[in-house]
Amino acid sequence: MEANQGHVVAQGLVRRFGSIEAVAGIDLEVAPGEIFGFLGPNGAGKSTTIRMLTTLLKPTAGRAWVAGHDVVEDPDAVRRSIGVALQDAAIDPLMTGRELLRLQAILHGLPRSTSADRSQFLLEMVGLTAAADRRVGTYSGGMRRRLDLALSLIHEPAVLFLDEPTTGLDPNSRFALWDEIRKLNREGGTTVFLTTQYMEEADELAGRVAIIDEGRIVAEGTPDKLKARVGVPTLQVTIGHGQDAIGAESILMRFGEPAPASPGAIAVRLEGGASGMAAVVRALDEGKVQVEGLELHMPTLDDVFQEATGRRLEGAEPTTEPQPQETTPR
Amino acid sequence: MSVAVAQYAALSRRSLLTTVRQPRAIIPPILFPLMFMALSSAAFDRTTQLPGFPQSESFLQFLICATIVQGALFASIASGSDMAHDIEEGFFDRLVASPVSRTSILVGRVFGSFVFGFFQAWFYFAVGLLFGLTVEGGLIGMFGVSLVAAMFAAGVASIASAFAIRTGSSEAVLGAFPLLFSLMFISGNFFPRSLMEGWFKTAATINPLTHMVEGMRAQVITGLDLGEWMSAFVIAAGFFVVGITLATMALKRRLAVAA
Repeated sequence: MEANQGHVVAQGLVRRFGSIEAVAGIDLEVAPGEIFGFLGPNGAGKSTTIRMLTTLLKPTAGRAWVAGHDVVEDPDAVRRSIGVALQDAAIDPLMTGRELLRLQAILHGLPRSTSADRSQFLLEMVGLTAAADRRVGTYSGGMRRRLDLALSLIHEPAVLFLDEPTTGLDPNSRFALWDEIRKLNREGGTTVFLTTQYMEEADELAGRVAIIDEGRIVAEGTPDKLKARVGVPTLQVTIGHGQDAIGAESILMRFGEPAPASPGAIAVRLEGGASGMAAVVRALDEGKVQVEGLELHMPTLDDVFQEATGRRLEGAEPTTEPQPQETTPR
Repeated sequence: MSVAVAQYAALSRRSLLTTVRQPRAIIPPILFPLMFMALSSAAFDRTTQLPGFPQSESFLQFLICATIVQGALFASIASGSDMAHDIEEGFFDRLVASPVSRTSILVGRVFGSFVFGFFQAWFYFAVGLLFGLTVEGGLIGMFGVSLVAAMFAAGVASIASAFAIRTGSSEAVLGAFPLLFSLMFISGNFFPRSLMEGWFKTAATINPLTHMVEGMRAQVITGLDLGEWMSAFVIAAGFFVVGITLATMALKRRLAVAA
C-alpha cells in the first residue's frame, strides 16, 4: 500500500449555498488506518464536508486530498480509492442485495469473475447470505445499512466514508454495525471517516474525534483527551419549587466552578471529584435547601461539545443544513 | 467486453429491471393505450368507410401505430420519473460517487427505454393480430415500426430525463406529461388528417408526431415503404437528438456542483 493511500487532508475547506456558509473553513488530517469521527448536531456541516471529500460537491474554497488525490483536480482517482455509504442508504428497493453488489462491482470496473466471489464474501461478512436474493425493499433498516456497508467495500477501498451509519437504527443493529466497522479497520487497515450525531458512537468507535458546529471544527483530539479537557465530573442539583435558588447556588459554588445546567437546576464542577458529592449534600441540608434531584455526570463528549459551543449536542435544535441534491444547481 | 460496455449494459439492465419490477408503474402505460385501442376500434370502425378516409381494412389497422407511439410515450415518461426518483432517493449519488462514466448514467436509462419501447410495440402488434389486424408490410414492416417506436421511446426518455435531472423531482416530470400528451392528440394519430378542417388540421400538419405516425402507418396499411419509414425514423431520431442534448446539458449543469 502506498504511503498516502489511506490519507485524508483538508485545508481551509469552505462551502457556501447562496448566502449560507454550510462549511466555514475546515482543516483536518486523517492518518492511514485511523477511525476518524466527525461529531456534530444536525446541520453542523458534516454531510456537506463528506460530500466535498467524496467528490459529490465542489468546495467553494480550500483544497482537499483523499488517498493522495486532489478531490477537484482528479476526482476519478479519488472515486476509485474510496467507499461511500451516504446517509439515506441509497439502495434501490426493487433490486436484490446480490444484484446491487454485482452492479456496484461493474460500476467500479471489477472483472466478472472477481465480482461474484467478492459479492459472496461481503454478503457473508455482513451476515446477509440468507437475504441475498431477496429484494432490498423487504430488508429491515439494519440490514439495509449492512448491505450499504458491503456495497461501499466492493472494490477494497483505502478510505471508507460513512455518513451517519447508524442513525435511526435500534441499539442491537447499531452495535452489530460498530463491530463490522472495527473489524474492517483492524483487519483490512481501512481508514474510516465517519460522521455521527451520537457522542457515544464517536466515543466507542473513533480513535480521534473532531467536533463540528456551524461549519467549524470547535474541538479535536482523542475522546479521552477531549474529555480530560472538560475535566472533573459535574453535579446537577434540582431544587424544589419556590426555593431560594440564589442561596442554593452560593452554597454550591463553594465546591467548584458553575457549569451549564438544565432549566430549573444548578450545576457545579466538582473540583474534588465524584467523592466530593457527600459534602455538597450535607452543605445543602444545613442550608435548608430542599433538593428534588441530584445527578452526577462524568465528563462526556457532549460536555466537550457544550464547553465549546454553549449548547448540548443531544437534543440540540437542528438548524437546516442545505441539502445540495434538493437545490437546483446554479 | 470492455469495462465501459459492461457499465452501459449493467445500467440499462437495471433501468429495465426496475421498470419491469414495478407492476403498478408498468401496467397502466401498457394497458391504457390498449383499452383506448379496443374502445375506439369498436366505436369508430365504420368511419373507415367515410369518403376521404385512408384506405384501410379496419379502424384498428389505422390506429395500431398511434397506440404503439402512445404506449412508448407513457412508458418513457415513467422511466424519466424513475430517474428523478433515483436523484431524490440518492441512488444517483451512488453512481456519481463511483468512477463510472458520467454519460453511462444517462445512456443506461435511455437505452433501457429503447429496448422497452421495441418490445412494447411487438406486444401491441401481437394483441392486434389476435383481434384480426393485418399488417401489409408483414414481419419486416412490424420490425420497422418497432424500431421507430424504440427510437421515439429513447427520445421521450431523454426529454423526460432532462426534466428529471434539471428538477430532481419525479412530480415535476409527471407534471410535464400533459404537454406531450396534448402533442399526441393534436395530431393525425387518432383520426386522419384528410377528414380534419380548420386550425386543427393546420396544427396536426405542423405536428411532427403526425408525420412520424403516418410514416409508421404506411407500413401497416399499404405495405413496405422505405421512404415513409425513413421520414418516420428521422422524426423519432430528431426527438432523440433534441432530448439527449437537453439531458446532457442538464447533467453537466448538475454535475458542475460536483467535482
